[in-house]
This record gives sequence, C-alpha cells and structure tokens, in this order.
Amino acid sequence: MKRFAASLGLVALLAWGVPALAQTAKDTLTVDLPGDAATLDPQVQWDTDSYTIYRNIFDNLVTRDTAGTIVPQIASAWRNLDDTHVEFTLRQDVTFHDGSKLTADDVVFSIKRITNPAFNSPQLSQFDQIADATITAPDKVVLSLKSPYPVLLAQLVKLSIVPKADVLARGDQAFNLKPMGSGPYRLREWQKGVQTTLDANPGYWRGAPPFKTVIFRAVPDGSTRIADLKAGKVDIVRGLAPDDAIALKSNAQLQVLSVPTERVGYLFINAQGGPTTDLRLRQAIAYAIDQQALIDALLQGYGKKVTSIGAEPIFGYQPDIKNLPYDPAKAKALVKEAGAEGRELIFNTSPAYDRRLVEAIQQMINDVGLKVTINVSDQATYLKRRQGTPQDAGSIAIGIWSCACQDADGVIFPLFRTGSSWAKYSNPAYDAAVDAARSTLDPAKRIADYRTAYQILRDDLPGIGLYQAYALYAARKELHWQPTPNESFFVMDMKWQ
Amino acid sequence: MWRYAAGRTLQALVAILGVLTIVFVVMRAAGDPTLLLVPQGASAEAIDALRHNLGFDRPWIVQYAEYLRDLARLDLGVSVVQHIPASDIVASRLPYTLELASGALLIAAGFGIPVGVLMATGRGGWVAGLLGTLVLAGQSMPSFLSGILLIAVFGVVLGWLPTSGADDLQALVLPSLALGALSMASFARMTRIAVLDELGRDHVRAARARGLSMTQTVLRHVLRNAAIPVVTVAALEIGNLLAGSVIVETVFAWPGIGQLAIQSIEARDFLVVQAVVLLVSAVHVATSLAADLAYALIDRRIRLAR
Repeated sequence: MKRFAASLGLVALLAWGVPALAQTAKDTLTVDLPGDAATLDPQVQWDTDSYTIYRNIFDNLVTRDTAGTIVPQIASAWRNLDDTHVEFTLRQDVTFHDGSKLTADDVVFSIKRITNPAFNSPQLSQFDQIADATITAPDKVVLSLKSPYPVLLAQLVKLSIVPKADVLARGDQAFNLKPMGSGPYRLREWQKGVQTTLDANPGYWRGAPPFKTVIFRAVPDGSTRIADLKAGKVDIVRGLAPDDAIALKSNAQLQVLSVPTERVGYLFINAQGGPTTDLRLRQAIAYAIDQQALIDALLQGYGKKVTSIGAEPIFGYQPDIKNLPYDPAKAKALVKEAGAEGRELIFNTSPAYDRRLVEAIQQMINDVGLKVTINVSDQATYLKRRQGTPQDAGSIAIGIWSCACQDADGVIFPLFRTGSSWAKYSNPAYDAAVDAARSTLDPAKRIADYRTAYQILRDDLPGIGLYQAYALYAARKELHWQPTPNESFFVMDMKWQ
Repeated sequence: MWRYAAGRTLQALVAILGVLTIVFVVMRAAGDPTLLLVPQGASAEAIDALRHNLGFDRPWIVQYAEYLRDLARLDLGVSVVQHIPASDIVASRLPYTLELASGALLIAAGFGIPVGVLMATGRGGWVAGLLGTLVLAGQSMPSFLSGILLIAVFGVVLGWLPTSGADDLQALVLPSLALGALSMASFARMTRIAVLDELGRDHVRAARARGLSMTQTVLRHVLRNAAIPVVTVAALEIGNLLAGSVIVETVFAWPGIGQLAIQSIEARDFLVVQAVVLLVSAVHVATSLAADLAYALIDRRIRLAR
C-alpha cells in the first residue's frame, strides 16, 4: 500500500512537474571569453574582455542601439548650448545596486575621475577634449569642451557612471575588486583568472534582466571554447575563427551569430621610410592585392570588401572613393619603372594577425616583382616598431582598426595625421582636411572634409583598406541575440527560447 | 658545516638576484605596456603622458633601484594592468598549479612505475608491450594535441568529464592526464633500470633460490631498494611538471602559474612577471640548495673539497 501511495505520488509529481519544466526559463547563461577581465573598474582598462563583463554591471551616459544609433541611457536628452557646451538631462529613477540614487553628482564625479591625469586611466585620450563638467540643475549637467568636438557623444558611449560615495568610501583598488554600478547585473564573485559571476539586479530601471545569473569564463584556447559549447558546458562563446564558424554550421544544436563591425582590416604602407617612399611602389602594392580573394579564401566570407580605410558603420566613410583595382600587370610595370625589381620590403606582424593573411599578401606582392620579408614579433614589440620612427616601422604591416566610436575622426585621423605615432606620412592638405572635420559640429561640412581627406589618401596611398571585419560568436540555438557593429555584449538584449 | 651552509645560501640568493636582474632588463628592452594599455587612436602626447605617469620613461637604473628597495621590504608592487598587488595575483594562481602538478605526478608515477616493473621482469607479455607503447606515445605526443584529443573524446563525445575549467576534482582529471603523460616515460624507464639492477643482486637471487615466485621477490625485495633512484626522478620531474604546464593550462583553461606567466609577458605586466620569476627561481634554487646541503651532511668529502 505504501509503495502504491509512493508511486501515485511520483506520478502526480511527474504530471505536475512536466509542464512546469517546459515553462522553466533558463536561469544561468554561461559565456566563454578568450580572457579574464583585466579590471572591473569601468574607468580603468577597456580591453574587449573587461568591457564585455563590466558593461553589464554599469550604465553609461549614452549608448548605441542594435542599429548603431546613439540613444539615451542615464542621460535622457541632450542639446548643444553653443559650440563648446553640451547640456545633458539625467534620468531621475536610476539607483545603484546598494539602493542609493544615481544623481548629477555621480555623473560629474565619473567625468572628473576619468579625465583626471593623476588617475592614469588608459582611456583618458577618449575624453581629454572635456574641459569641465558642472551641475546646473538637480537633473542637468553641462560639459564644457576645449574646442568644438563633433565626436563627443560617440566617445561618451564608453563612459560608465560610477557611484561617487562608494568609490570615495572604499578607494579605487577595493572598488575595482568589487565594483558596484547601476546596471542590469551586479557582481557576485570574481575568481581572478577563472570566471566572473553576475547576479541579476531585479529592480533594474529598464526591467528585469533575462537570466538570473551570468557566468563569464576565461578560456584562452579557441578549440577548447568550441568543445565547451558542443559539450553543453557553455551557451555562447566569443572569438570564433572563420574556419570554425564554417565547421559549426552543420551542427543542429548550435548557431553562428555574426555581424559586420566597425573594425577595418588595412594594409599600412610606409611613406616616410624604406623603398615605399617611392609613390610608384605604393601604387604597385595597391594594384597587386586582390581583396576579394583574401576575403573568400581566408575569411570564409566573414568579411566585406571596403573601398578605403573605413566601413559603413563609420561616419565619414566614402564608399565611392575606390581603392586602386587588382591589376598585377600594371603593378609589375610600376615596379619596373621604379627600377625596384627584387627590392626587399619588411612586413612587420604579430600573432594577433592571421598568419595566412600575412602570407597571402606577401605572395601577392612577391608576384609583381618585389621581395617581402615577414618579421614576426609579439604584439608589444610589434606596436613599438609600428609606432616608432619611420625607419623602424617596416615597409608594410597589416592592422585591424577600431576606435569604438564609429567616426572617421577615430580612424584616419590617428592613422595618418602628421604627428600621430601611427602616421608614417605627412601631407599638409590632408592634415587641414581632417583638422577641419574635427572642429565643426556641422555633419554636412564634416562629410565634405572627409571626402577631401579620403581622396588625398587614395592618391598618396600611405595605406589601403582591405576588409570590414565581422564579429563572430557561436551559441546554442535557443539563444536569441543580435550582435552589434560596435561589438557590445549586452546580456540585457538576449533572450532564451 | 655552518660555514658551508651559509656560503651556499649566499650563492643561492645571488643566483635569484641574477635571474631577477636578467628578467628585469630583458622585459624592459622589449618595450613597456603603455602601447597595449591605451586605445588604438590615442595621440602621441596621451601615450607619452601615461608612460610618464606610470614611470616607464625613467632610466632603467632608477626603476631597478626602486624595485630592489621595494623587494627588500617584501613589496612586489601593484600590477599596472590589473591594479592588484602582484603578490596577490601570483598567490591566487599557486594552488591551481600545485593541484595540477600533484595530479600529473600521480598519473605519471601511477602508470609509469608499474609499466617499468613489468618491462623489467619480462612479465605481462603483450599487456606490458601495449602499456610500454602507450607510455612512449604519451611522451611523444605534444600536449596541445593530446589535450585537444582528450577534450574531444572524454568531454564532447562521451561527456564523462568537463571540457575545461577548474571547478572541481573531475575537472582535474584530463589536464593531469595530458601533463602526466609527458613524464610517464621517465618514470617507466627509471623504474625499469632500477628494478633490473636489483634483480641481478645476490639477495634477490638468494630469494629466488629459496623458491619465492618472481612476483613475491619483486614485491618484497626489489621494489624497496629500487625506489631510491625513482624518488630522485620524481623530485626532478616535479620541476618539469611545474614549468611544463603552460600549454596544458592554456588548452584546459586551467588558471595556473604557467598561463599567468605567458599572459603577463604578453601584456608586459612587469611586476607580475617578476613576481612569477621570483617564485619559480626561489623554488628551483631552494630545492637544489636543500639537495646540496643534504649531500654535504651525508658525505664529508663534499664539504672538504671546497
């Protein structure tokens, strides 16, 4: 009898449990990232792994939606008072995780903290046009700028608001280890080098977050991340190689999520040092490179041809100012004309760039009569050379550029403006155009300036655009999410079905 | 004896200081972390300002003197990348490294020693042959390959063990196998030689003559004496296991010292690299110092020769 009662109970439990199970939402989202966060204080490091994690703990002054448009977050509205003063109206219903209200005081504190040179934020250069921040009403903050600065909002997308009282009470080091923000998730535990666990903030002002818990794991090896995903240990992985993406397409339980980003693959050509100071050789290199072949064969189609160093999400990009076409015969003739057959070109690179891409470009340039020598070093050494003197920078190098600001001012200005550490090129006409574009707020005038600038670059060839890079993620089929061109990882925008 | 011990200890400290100095110079010669820290578009002035504020534009000798001063106060400094004391970072990774080394040692000795005994006694027939082949294959296969294979078979296809991470004891099994496989052959070879050596001795032959079976002879009379050289190998292999775990740690996302070392070198996080080097060189020097002193205690001639 007892046994019968027990089985009856079991049946009842099953009957009750099955529909309940079917409705149970997924509680924990587990994410594999290539690395651990360096810091969780959003005003210190902003490498992709750190940003991916802490951006879910904090709210920013403004943000970008899935389409890439700048939209309100802590600031509900803004207007230009004049060319150098912008007034922000702040939301009044936002609280930090400890229940305290987010006020204008916190916004001003956050701006002054990151722009204080003594704070040593590596991000300072993104905000150093801001001269001052003042509270003009309980819900209004005015930013004063050193000069008219059209990219201000694009930069403020990256400004997280930190709680003044908490930072001052606990100090910078303690705040970094256990940060507190106003975002959809709060930090539960940070196991350095292993994983970071976040809990949902149920009272979040934009609504309840989709998962109760999010775990970000640090898994440096790409094959291991995919194994984790296949074994069901994790739900989404970042940092997928194009070859792996193709291989995963046949797996019925998984999906590849991809989006064209603002990241541009480009080839730098040294105009101030070595053989490529001769314009004819720079032209020859441009004619020698078959962009579409690189994209099809090496990026497996997860890349899009660009006509210059820019891409559609970037303000100022001019798709109709075209790269020189692929024409190896013309390239050969130019090399011959310059009397440079067999001349050696140093191609500096690092493991951060796809070795096969480097070798394919080497082959294409060798085919037109030059001799490319690849010089591999680690990333720190590569950057030191690339940003060093024109004599040390090598003749060519590939780079993948993103300013996370979607504006040509963050792309071709640092790459080619005289005096920038990246520029191995100098042209007063070009400098005048990019300088003008960064000192007016009029979008039409800025576009005109960038047209001039891109035309000069196309004629002088201190570099050429190769492709627009795609962000690649692999995830379980049930995860619904649209990745964004600026590579944000907002768990708040994800859904499990 | 005391005089000798004091002299050797002083030598050991000089050796550690020498290693630290070399690492200090080599790391700085290869560039500082400023360029890796700033956003791509940072202006030359912003880069210079940050470099100045972080103190990397000062002469090396000044930075070196400052480092030694802090070191004398047992202050290893704060990581410029992570904003956490370097000693805390290293300390948080150390337990994982010790765990993995122990697991790997257990696997290496647990498989290697029995296989060595079987190979020496000629017992076991095709089983010994198969095990011998497996042990050799284990040593020959690079760990990035064996690691991925183990993950694919036991983690993905069979689903018996976690594919990566350091959550629990189960997660320790696969990385220990991948790392231990590298040392198995050393154990098997050394055991085989030691056991063969013992088998030829008089007391063993006497035991056999008394009618003891081979198994009994090995268990009662051989293993004990053969253990001494095997323990020596084990001590040496611990060093290899600690140092050789970089690849295994990376493949299995095991957060040990090896992975930390690579990541800090890539990030030019000087103070963390120096803390790791200090730890590793101190362990190496301390073990060799202990061995030297032990020899000297056992054998007077070693002391007199100096």
